[in-house]
Amino acid sequence: MSDLEDLKTRLKIAKSKLQNTNLKKADKKGIFLGNAFKLGTELVAAVVVGTIIGFILDNWFGTKPILIIVFFIFGAVAGIMNVFKAAKKMQGDGN
Amino acid sequence: MAANPMHQFKVYRIGPEIEISGVNLSFTNASLFMVISAILITVLLLFGTREKKLVPSKIQLMSEMLYNFIAKMISDTAGKKAKPYFPFIFSLFVFILFCNMVGMLPYSFTVTSHIIVTLTFAIFIFIGVTILGFVIHGFKYLKIFVPSGVPIVLLPIITIIEIISYLSRPVSLSVRLFANMMAGHTMLKVFGGFVISLGLIGGWLPLSFSVALTGLEILVAFLQAYVFAILTCIYLNDALNLHH
Repeated sequence: MSDLEDLKTRLKIAKSKLQNTNLKKADKKGIFLGNAFKLGTELVAAVVVGTIIGFILDNWFGTKPILIIVFFIFGAVAGIMNVFKAAKKMQGDGN
Repeated sequence: MAANPMHQFKVYRIGPEIEISGVNLSFTNASLFMVISAILITVLLLFGTREKKLVPSKIQLMSEMLYNFIAKMISDTAGKKAKPYFPFIFSLFVFILFCNMVGMLPYSFTVTSHIIVTLTFAIFIFIGVTILGFVIHGFKYLKIFVPSGVPIVLLPIITIIEIISYLSRPVSLSVRLFANMMAGHTMLKVFGGFVISLGLIGGWLPLSFSVALTGLEILVAFLQAYVFAILTCIYLNDALNLHH
C-alpha cells in the first residue's frame, strides 16, 4: 500500500509540473509543422489531377489542346481553394 | 554502388520467384521490411498488454500512450461518431510509423519511400471513405460537391472544381508521405557520400550535417505518419458529418 501512496504523491508532483511547463504549446507546434507540410502538396496534387482529367477527356473527345488547358486552370483553382480552406481551418484552430 | 544515393530504394527479390496468373508475387526486400514492422508492432502491443499493472512497466506505458494518442486525435478531429473506426486508424498510423522508423536504421529499407505503397494506402482510404459517405447519407453525399450559398451561374464551375479537389485527396495524401521519405533518405545518403569523398580533413562538416539531418528525419518520420492519420480522420469526418 505504501507503494500506492508513494505513486499518488509522485503523480501529483508530475501533474503540477506538467501544468507549469505548458505542454500544449509544444503539441501545437507539431501540428503547425504538419500543416506546413500539408499545404505544399495540396496545391500541386489538385493541379496534377486536373491536368490528368483534362488529358483523358481530350483523348476521349479528340479535342486535343483545349480541355487539357481548361482543366489545368480548374486544377490550379482547386489547388488554391484547397490551400485557402486549409489555411482557414488553421486560423480557426489557432483562435 | 554505395555512392549512388538512389541505390537504397531498389526493390529486389528474396527467395524463389512466385508468379500467379502473370502477376509477380515474389517476396521482396520491401515485403520483408513490412513483415518486420508488423512483427515489431505485434511484439510491442502483445508485451505491452500482457500484464496490466496499475504501475505500468515501460513497454506497457508505451503501448498505452500510443493508444491514448490515437484515441485523442480521433475524438479531436472526427468526433464521437468516428469511434468505430479507431482500429483502422490505429493500425494505419502505427504501421506507417513503424515502417518509417524501421527505415531510419542503417542497412534497412524504407517501405514508405515507394509511391506504390503510399498510393495503395491512400486509394484504399479514399474509396473506403467515399463508400462510407454514400452508405450513411445516400445520394445526399453528392452535396459535398455543391457548396451552399453559391450563385447559380457559378455553380457548374464550382462543382467541377470541388470534384477535382476531392479527387486530388489520394494524390496529395500519398505524394506527401512518399516524397518526404524519399527526399529525406536521399539527402542523408548524399551527405554520407560527401563524408567519404572529402575524407578526414573536409568530412567533418557533412558529417555534422548528416547527424542533424538524421534527427530531422526521425521527426519527419513521426510527423508524416501523424499527418497521414490525421488527414484520414479529417476525410472520415467529412464523410460522417455532412456539412455544406
